[in-house]
Amino acid sequence: MENYVVEMRHITKVFNGVAAIDNVDFALRKCSIHGLLGENGAGKTTLMNVLFGLYKAEEGEIRINGEKVAITSPVDAMSHGIGMVHQHFMLCRPLSVVENVMLGKKSRRGILLDTEETAKELKALSDKYHMGVDPYSRIWQLSIGEQQRVEILTQLYMGCDILILDEPTAVLTPQETAEFFVTLRKMKEDGKSIILITHKLEEIISIVDEVTVLRDGSLIGSRLVDAGLSKADLSNMMVGRQVLFDFPAPEKAPGKVKFSISHLVAKNDKGVEAIHDVSLEIREGEVLGLAGVDGNGQKELCEVLTGLRPLVSGSFSLKGEDISGKAPSFYIGKKISHIPEDRLTTGLAVNWSLEKNLIFKRLADPSLKKHGLISRQLVRKNWEKARNDYQIKSINGEELSRSLSGGNQQKVILARELGGNPEVLIANQPTRGLDVGASEYVRQRILDARNNGASVLLVSADLEEILQISDRVAVIYDGRIMGVLPRGANPMDIGVLMMGGKLDKEETK
Amino acid sequence: MTDRTKVSTSQLLSTFAMVLVALLLGAVLIIFSGNSPAEAYGAMLRGAFGSKNKISELFVKLIPIMLMAFGVSIAFRAQLWNIGATGQFVMGAIATTIVALHVAGPIPVRMVLSFLAAVVAGALWAGIAGWLRNKFNANEVITTLMLSHIARYFLMYVVTGPSGFLHDPHSDLTQSDAIPEGMHLARLLGPSYRLHSGLFVLVLAIVFMFFFWKTTTGHRIDLIGQGEKVSIYAGVDVRRTVMTTMLISGAFAGLAGWLEIVAIQYRLQSTFTDYGNIATIIALLGALSPAGILASACFFSVLLCGGSSMQRMTNVPYSVVDVMQGLIIILVIAKATLANRIKGFWEKRPKKEAANG
Repeated sequence: MENYVVEMRHITKVFNGVAAIDNVDFALRKCSIHGLLGENGAGKTTLMNVLFGLYKAEEGEIRINGEKVAITSPVDAMSHGIGMVHQHFMLCRPLSVVENVMLGKKSRRGILLDTEETAKELKALSDKYHMGVDPYSRIWQLSIGEQQRVEILTQLYMGCDILILDEPTAVLTPQETAEFFVTLRKMKEDGKSIILITHKLEEIISIVDEVTVLRDGSLIGSRLVDAGLSKADLSNMMVGRQVLFDFPAPEKAPGKVKFSISHLVAKNDKGVEAIHDVSLEIREGEVLGLAGVDGNGQKELCEVLTGLRPLVSGSFSLKGEDISGKAPSFYIGKKISHIPEDRLTTGLAVNWSLEKNLIFKRLADPSLKKHGLISRQLVRKNWEKARNDYQIKSINGEELSRSLSGGNQQKVILARELGGNPEVLIANQPTRGLDVGASEYVRQRILDARNNGASVLLVSADLEEILQISDRVAVIYDGRIMGVLPRGANPMDIGVLMMGGKLDKEETK
Repeated sequence: MTDRTKVSTSQLLSTFAMVLVALLLGAVLIIFSGNSPAEAYGAMLRGAFGSKNKISELFVKLIPIMLMAFGVSIAFRAQLWNIGATGQFVMGAIATTIVALHVAGPIPVRMVLSFLAAVVAGALWAGIAGWLRNKFNANEVITTLMLSHIARYFLMYVVTGPSGFLHDPHSDLTQSDAIPEGMHLARLLGPSYRLHSGLFVLVLAIVFMFFFWKTTTGHRIDLIGQGEKVSIYAGVDVRRTVMTTMLISGAFAGLAGWLEIVAIQYRLQSTFTDYGNIATIIALLGALSPAGILASACFFSVLLCGGSSMQRMTNVPYSVVDVMQGLIIILVIAKATLANRIKGFWEKRPKKEAANG
């Protein structure tokens, strides 16, 4: 009993009459790393926001070090030694690390700043945990991994003993993740207690001492992590059924080159060149995975290939025909499908009905019309078919697409983009924000499209996903292709390329 | 099909609810002013429906406000806030008068030409705002409003003597010469009632509106209102659609301007009844749907026609009508929030499957 630093009992939090978490218990042991596992929308973040004082629970009690407390704000939480690092960093980019830390505290020198003193203390703390953070570097100069360390360092400096980390590895490369785990272990040895919110099963197995699983806002169970616990066990608890992790290799070998990109150059929204001289080839019936840390030109590349962004130079062709520099409607006509990165602003008209979202790329299609007007019955028929084929869960086709869960929204996009048997599929982060079950489904559908002969460009920041379903893997860094590796390549090699490194052995071609 | 009826019924219900709340609050106001609401509203109804002439006047009001409300509703669906219907109306009226007075040719030819000129003038006046938006990303709220002012002053200029080229040389008033009598639209109930054959134009417009949102163009216009990114992604040429939207939107106001000259005033005057704001309110109250606009335009025409006779028959000032218009705007804006609150109240019971996200 005494070795629990945090105990949450019978916590219930209701949003708009709906219980986001329902009667959940959670207990964190001192000096341990506790994994909080669950699909998207299972209530992990909600539970932690209750602990951090961002939400007030309708029912339940919280004990810190055995003492019953009322946490009504983050300030309260911090006074109890609880710190939280959010998924989106809360750092002021133009300022230096030490200035960011000082924003949240009083100076010890009255009206003068105690920059030097703070910097010295930060440096000592950073060295202690092998974080390698320079207190004087500016935030915008730091990589995502370094920024995350700054966030954690800030919490430690403020005197937190209990640290909540919300999906900290989502933005890290495999190498950065490994370094990050070293830091976590060091912190544990030092007497800190850590809560790790995640939906990555590997992390639970490799670093966590104890795991709590939530599903649909309810507690499924807590257990210690030992050698007997497998990924399959965890996914069973999380999804409630077996999940496929290994997808079979294609039965037939990819055909000849169908879609080829040569020396493509394009700019980003700020007018800075974001893709430099990108050349890639995708064969018929092949998935080419494009691995890379977010923001290295993937989005710009996908947009150029579908006409959403102008190209500066270079070209790309379909079956030998140059099709570069046309309007989006041209690519739609050429059956080049696109699953955009952003479902809510690009992939769907969120205030349109589901059935109309399915047809908005072919508003002029005569097969949807009767007497020159778009026919409700035909649109409805099209919807009924898609709903059955893609198992979309909704009340009816009239429902607005914004009211669906992320997984079902993605199914609507899949139904539209894969419905007409595409020649080429550009899939940008197709499973982002989806839970394990929905991701599995989306990947399976992408493979179905491949088996039907489509050339697929799969862009993903999730390396595991790339490795699962790609036939070849290209790696992009800073708008350049660092190399193309065959199926079954070593993840560590890909990691090196993702950070702009070079491989010693000549695996690239 | 049943789902569809459900959607439009709930829309109509919310429109009626808003009107009802506005009437109730108006009643409270009338009580404060020391009058009886029953008496005041009774006077309003009698003022609107009390005689054959009053019913005829009801339609005379209904025709332009409904046409202009249809026009702005098309732009509003595309999230293009065309609030300059007045300017497009004025340009339509000016174009009509120019053709009627300054183009030689037989009357039927002039009639057709004046119709086309009015529609094109209204469309182009709104089209300028569309072009400015496409070219310079200029906000259409500002440009349509400013273009409205330009149109008003241009009207003053053309009818003010002696420099104005439409000024009536036989009169000191700021108005044009009368258009030839052959160009007057026929009166439906005899010469003493102003109800004119423009009613058929309105019927055609209603039919057009009910089909318009089923066309490819209608869907594209609706889609660009959902966001630029998704429209481009869906292969819609956004600039071209913005232009189309503004042209159609302005054409409706120009049409109303044509009717004002050939059916009501028979000449261009510097003063005119400004229907622009009413049209905006009607479009919003009708939730931008043709059926909703039909209903709310009828309500407003009763309110406007009955309001003035309420002032004459009772001690209630006409400004009560203005206040009610204001209330309706507030209710339209508050509608989304209110609807959510009411929904949340009914759905207090916890539901599991909605907990995602």
